[in-house]
Amino acid sequence: MRRIVGIVLAVLLIGGVAVAVVAGRDSKDTSTATKTVRGVIGSEKAEFFADPEVVKALAAKGFTVKAETSGSWAMDRLPLKGYDFAFPSSKAPADELQRKSPVKGGPLRPFYSPLVVVAHRGAAQVLADNGLATLSGRSSGKLHMAPYLKAAKADRTWQQLGGADEHAELTGTLFITSTDPVASNSGALYLAAASYVADGGRVAADDAAIDRTAPLLKKLIQVQGAQQTSSDAPFRDFISGVGNPLVLVYESQVASLLMQKQQELGDLVVLYPDTTVSSDHTLVPLTESGRQLGELLSTDPGLRRLAVRHGFRPQGAAAEFTAATAGHTDYIDQQLTGIRQAPVPTATVLRAMARRTRG
Amino acid sequence: MKGRIRRLRRRVSRTLAALLAAAVLVPIAACSAGDDPAASGKKDDGAPRAGTLRVLASSELADMKPLLEQARKATGITVRPTWTGTLDAVQQLGSGKADGAYDAVWLSSNDYLRLHPEAAKRVTSETPLMASPVALGVKPAVVRRLGWDPSRVTWSQVHRAVADGELTYGMTDPARSNSGFAALVSVASALSGAQSALTDTDVRKASGKMEEFFGGQRLTSGSSGWLATAYARRGTVDALINYESVLLSLGRDSRTGLTVIRPRDGVVTADYPLSLLSAASPEAKDSVRALTSYLRSPAVQRQLTRETFRRPVVTSVRPAAPLAAEARRELPFPGSRSVADGLVDSYENKLRRPSRTVYVLDTSGSMKGERLRRLKAALTGLTGDFREREEVTLLPFGSSVKRARTHTVDPADPQAGLAAIKADTAALTASGETAIFSSLESAYDRLGPDTGSAFTSIVLMTDGENTTGDSADDFAGFYRSLPAARRVTPVFPVVFGDSDRAELDAIASLTGGRLFDATKEQGPGSLDGAFEEIRGYQ
Repeated sequence: MRRIVGIVLAVLLIGGVAVAVVAGRDSKDTSTATKTVRGVIGSEKAEFFADPEVVKALAAKGFTVKAETSGSWAMDRLPLKGYDFAFPSSKAPADELQRKSPVKGGPLRPFYSPLVVVAHRGAAQVLADNGLATLSGRSSGKLHMAPYLKAAKADRTWQQLGGADEHAELTGTLFITSTDPVASNSGALYLAAASYVADGGRVAADDAAIDRTAPLLKKLIQVQGAQQTSSDAPFRDFISGVGNPLVLVYESQVASLLMQKQQELGDLVVLYPDTTVSSDHTLVPLTESGRQLGELLSTDPGLRRLAVRHGFRPQGAAAEFTAATAGHTDYIDQQLTGIRQAPVPTATVLRAMARRTRG
Repeated sequence: MKGRIRRLRRRVSRTLAALLAAAVLVPIAACSAGDDPAASGKKDDGAPRAGTLRVLASSELADMKPLLEQARKATGITVRPTWTGTLDAVQQLGSGKADGAYDAVWLSSNDYLRLHPEAAKRVTSETPLMASPVALGVKPAVVRRLGWDPSRVTWSQVHRAVADGELTYGMTDPARSNSGFAALVSVASALSGAQSALTDTDVRKASGKMEEFFGGQRLTSGSSGWLATAYARRGTVDALINYESVLLSLGRDSRTGLTVIRPRDGVVTADYPLSLLSAASPEAKDSVRALTSYLRSPAVQRQLTRETFRRPVVTSVRPAAPLAAEARRELPFPGSRSVADGLVDSYENKLRRPSRTVYVLDTSGSMKGERLRRLKAALTGLTGDFREREEVTLLPFGSSVKRARTHTVDPADPQAGLAAIKADTAALTASGETAIFSSLESAYDRLGPDTGSAFTSIVLMTDGENTTGDSADDFAGFYRSLPAARRVTPVFPVVFGDSDRAELDAIASLTGGRLFDATKEQGPGSLDGAFEEIRGYQ
């Protein structure tokens, strides 16, 4: 029954979007004055702001958004004069930016997305058979972080895992491909989750804590060799069948593909780390117009629906996300049951952690 | 010790610089062969134009021209490619020169780019469009002789066969070609037993095995095209290492009939990402997005795998018939520039067989003045590029060979050999007639019977026609009477001044060499450029 309700809801939602499009077109023809707001955003949201339907929905509310992308952790070093908002993909840099902003009423978190690990089915099965993961269906499961980190610490290879020899590609050190933690948000958040688990559920707050996990974190990064700087590229490589069998991505990347039906996902399995970190897409208003945009993204039903279509979970009640992903529960864990959200260290601490993984 | 490292580093950067020069030559030739029917008649000024994407692209992507033309018809987006080598592209990006001049870069892989933060930060998004792993193409008879099951062969087995003298192969130069570089990384990763990204320690640990492995390399080349030609001509080489797509295309176009092996212990894969430059205009960004989604559409991906033997990157499309479906481990690419550069440096100066090269230099009367000055400048410039252990002979001639002196770049004191080459260069004087063929015969005699312990080659630089000594026919008779082992040495003639292109071309085809153009004043196609490009073949 619930499923049927979900489908009905989804159909209604699609209808709603279509109406919004038409409405957007109408208003574009008639309205004369839209407010142009300029902002700097994390690259994960570039597609969202470039989506013609988002452009129209914003125009209908009187906004034209000009967005430029930047690494979330580099935004505080940008000259932000002339911008109306900054929209990093994490709370920590947003907090720093907010302190410098003359405008109150922020930061706002219109939507978020947890980090997940994507695997091909063979690899996911081997992890499950060796106690590193639990599969809950054909295309979804949980990654057990503590055993995984233990294996990483011991330089465990795929060859040492039972059943890996049936898959020619499963050899070499077992590791998760992430982005470069110095340059990119998802790579940095990987360190946040790993350090939290490795340090017995404590959030690193000082040098001593950084020291305790530095050797392990360095290992997690160094084994990967060359890393990419945006979360987009390793996910596309994975979908293309190139690269490492385990890749850290945002749930939104998978969900957006599922909902937009642009591409078959093949034998992709989504593994939710049992301790993960969410990317909090946090808008810092730098002007009054920026604040209005933030409010709009958080509260406007049409824009929230569009955010869902790009795979994001809107803040507050998750009804929209649940409805939109109703047909994809074989991949998406809607309720995130039993998944612990690790708190993220401050930007200063996380940057220090990232630097220590180099050298 | 420190000084030595610094020197090595300098040498590598010079090698890379040479590579840049070399890489540009081919593309320019390719462009003048007539690229874009749409732009015919109009001189392209490189300015941005609506609907036109300016793309800095790997020269090996030239086989995509028909598909790009099709994309133009379907999407209205014209791709204006500038063919280049990976390293050149990375340098142009890093220096900021590419900003404003191009909208996108399209290389075999962005792995090397990522090691250079200055270049990497100019790229905003990248989307892989197809994939091809580095593979080994082996003659079917050799596969049988070795008792190999092609789907189960590992790099370690290949190493064993080479070390036992059971297998020889050809490969492009890693300092000049992306396929060679990817091959080097594959071999080093596999032979070192590295379970994760290659480190300096891994490279050191594997150097013994790698030296054995590269001892079996019989052919080297600055380009995949000449490698295939040389392979077909030589007949005695058992295998080629190159991208799977190149090996299979050779089978189709040149009937090489090689059995393609993707070693089971891992491969390095080119994924051809179309990468948008941050400095591109919003219109160009939209065009890149549209072109990307066109090229990733299932119908185009199907056509692409069928026509180029690269692997599709959307899961709904199966790889074309000759491509085996079984997955392979992707060997991680080195994470630091020092590892990557150090690997190329060891290959060039320690691991590969050394080179023995005779430079047959026309110093007849007509070379007097500006031409001799340019020859001296080009040779002097080249001295920074000679590898350790390399044996270089300068053989200047006029009416006959004037003198021939051989210098070896001794790893213990490379500067001594290089200084001697420079001194000999400075001492060149122009006088006499032009005895091309007698001098070439003398060069073959100078190299002697041993062509196995080194890559042997002859460079012929002349500014005129043969006027004295043996004739072309005499030389052909001389060459044909040589024992097979001595005939493997190719002559690379350089067209310069008033030299007779047809005469030189005949020498290149007789000996299995390649003609190089040096008729331009400077840059690619100049004498400096030609000498540097030839380095990839020595």
